[in-house]
Amino acid sequence: MIVASISPDNVLPIPAPIGLLEVLIVITFLLHIIFVNFTISLTAGAVGLETFGIIKKNRKYDNMAKIASYHASIHKSIAVVLGVGPLLMISVIYTQYFYSSTILIGKAWLSVLILLIVAFLMLYVYKFTWERWQHKKGLHLFFGIGAMAILFFVPLIFIVNVVSMLYPEQWATANGFFHSLFHYPQIWQRYLHFMLASIATGGFYFFIFYSFKKRKHVLQEDEVSLKRNGAKVGFWVTVVQLVAGFLLLFSFKPEIRMLYMGEDLLLTTLLILSIMFTLILCALLYKASEQDSGKSFLLALATFVMILGIMGWMRHELRESYLQPYLEDNPRTEHTTQNNNK
Amino acid sequence: MNFPSIDFSWFGNGSVIALIAIIHVVISHGVAIGTIALMVTMEYRAHRTKNLALDALAKKIAKWVLIITTTMGAMTGVGIWFSTTVIQPDSIGALLRIFFWAWVAEWIVFITEVVLLILYYYTWDKWQDGRAKARHIKLGIVLAFASWMTMAIITGVLAAKLTPGLWVETHAFWNAFINPTYLPSLGFRMFLAILLAIALLSFFIRWRVKDVALRQEVFHVFGLWGAISLPAVFVLGLWYLWSIPTDAYDMIVWSTGMPENVFKTLNGIAFAILIIYLIWMIVKPKAVPWILSLIVMGSSVAFIGEFEVVRESIRKPFIIYDYMYANGLLEENREKYDEEGFLKHATWAKEREITEDNVVDAGREVFIGQCITCHTVDGWRSKRSLTNRMDGWTEDDMTSFIPTMHNVRVAMPPFMGTDEELEALAAYLSTEINGKRTNKKEVSQQ
Repeated sequence: MIVASISPDNVLPIPAPIGLLEVLIVITFLLHIIFVNFTISLTAGAVGLETFGIIKKNRKYDNMAKIASYHASIHKSIAVVLGVGPLLMISVIYTQYFYSSTILIGKAWLSVLILLIVAFLMLYVYKFTWERWQHKKGLHLFFGIGAMAILFFVPLIFIVNVVSMLYPEQWATANGFFHSLFHYPQIWQRYLHFMLASIATGGFYFFIFYSFKKRKHVLQEDEVSLKRNGAKVGFWVTVVQLVAGFLLLFSFKPEIRMLYMGEDLLLTTLLILSIMFTLILCALLYKASEQDSGKSFLLALATFVMILGIMGWMRHELRESYLQPYLEDNPRTEHTTQNNNK
Repeated sequence: MNFPSIDFSWFGNGSVIALIAIIHVVISHGVAIGTIALMVTMEYRAHRTKNLALDALAKKIAKWVLIITTTMGAMTGVGIWFSTTVIQPDSIGALLRIFFWAWVAEWIVFITEVVLLILYYYTWDKWQDGRAKARHIKLGIVLAFASWMTMAIITGVLAAKLTPGLWVETHAFWNAFINPTYLPSLGFRMFLAILLAIALLSFFIRWRVKDVALRQEVFHVFGLWGAISLPAVFVLGLWYLWSIPTDAYDMIVWSTGMPENVFKTLNGIAFAILIIYLIWMIVKPKAVPWILSLIVMGSSVAFIGEFEVVRESIRKPFIIYDYMYANGLLEENREKYDEEGFLKHATWAKEREITEDNVVDAGREVFIGQCITCHTVDGWRSKRSLTNRMDGWTEDDMTSFIPTMHNVRVAMPPFMGTDEELEALAAYLSTEINGKRTNKKEVSQQ
């Protein structure tokens, strides 16, 4: 039986200093994931608001839903192109781990292509038929719900891949994507953490978008609603996220969890800072949802960016902690100045 | 076998990559690059001639460009990468390391292109009058340039796989990127993209646009672009052919699977039809027959398929010329594997040593490690199916043929491994093909 099949690294050297690539992977991943968050939550928001509008027979919700679908279809295009960057970085830095974890769920990985093409086309139908299908709401909603369902599912494939690469010793006993969903730890905790972050980010997006717009234009009624409700959604979901974050923390191996709980100064500081900033953001969002002041939205935006940055950094350090023992035993073909001069 | 493997046993691993790649090339060349150039020209002409109908048509095209490129186009582009990672990890792994910074540049241009396309479409109605319209057209030109840039970068990578040039010795980025077929293949592809776009679009214009005067205007634009592109494709195509290695050149007809006269006749007819079509478009734009537009569209897509299959096939037995074979094995490891054994160095092989009991299983691992990238046991493509190709062969036939097959079949990489591994491979193949072992020694012992 294979204990952990880690191949020797590709003989061609990694094309840049690993430190630089690590900075790039954190930044490019954050850029990508924020647009993924927007896409998922704005699609869900559009479907939710449209349904609510049908039940309440109130056109206002329908208008809000239409705006959300419009934004979602733009962000999905940006999310996809931004994704190429982090995929490039992870492929180059973690070749020995990421390629194996990808191939182990190879068919599910390739299904992402078909799933996303279908979801994106459905999103376009959903957006471009909004007025034409006002009296065919069932059909219209079908396209929205279909796109949403696919967008809710696809992150699981990505999560299985990036979690499985952390557990080479469990590769030999894994058997395809669906088995892997329950084979590796962390998966569902990560999924919960990610989905909540998406929804909160979507709410926050509308709050910020219309706070900016308000500086130049007078907002219409639907827009004011989106802004305030966005802040409200951002607030409540983030409160729940504080719990989900701890569930994730407790799904880590004890020795790695302890790094975040006092054993490692950097990681512990990052965790504490992220919680503090999250509490500040919650307070700002709560205020914004209670009264339409929005004065402190720049502060909220800055806090949000800080949280995002810390989360991305911690996420990277987590991977490094998990892979540390393997990286030592299976050295990478590192960049050398000799390569640099060529 | 540095990585686990995947088996699309009926469709074939190679076919998965080919299918995704061909769809992507049709969209990236025909829609993203070619159609954008035509569309911006149409908008410009509409502005100059104050033709509102032409402007509205250009906008409609922009909408479809947006929809198609941001769904099928973008996802199949990522898809080539996804599928090669899953099926040819060693090859894509090497290419990413060689061309890392080119890919970073490609990524930035790619983001720019998508953002510009979104801006271009969504500002169409807002930027309609006077100077705003001029600004919109400029935006379109920048967009067309960005979409061309994505091709200018990725072509460096694609061309290097066939002609890595000095890179094989120096391992230096620029030697790989500016390689012997870079410029001719870039030139060929960019004008091919325009012709493909004309072929795709003109069918839909002929079919959907009922206003004859408007159709005439559109075909006028297409005719102009066609008159430049067709001779350019011809000349650059010859230059491209002239710059590929002789061994590769000799495999062109073979790689299409057609007899030489059929190959020449079909391609000749298709080229002639395209010339007739373009002349018709220029001389009699009001009376372009729809059936001809349909034939041209079909044959253009077929040509793209043929071009991609040929380009991928004539590299054989290599995937990166003179460096890595089509099955991902490095040329430099051949001696090592022959002496020490292939399985010993195959991290993911389930059997690393051959014993009396595991011969067939070990043979399967050799098959997975060296054959499965291109071959199937009994898939739908009969040329790739070993049940078909080795029908009736005994193990002894296999063990005497395989070590020298690369001399007879120039597309085949050499077998790498010890005699025991060769025998194990034959034992596995015989079990799959004949349903039993067919080694005389083995059979007589039983």
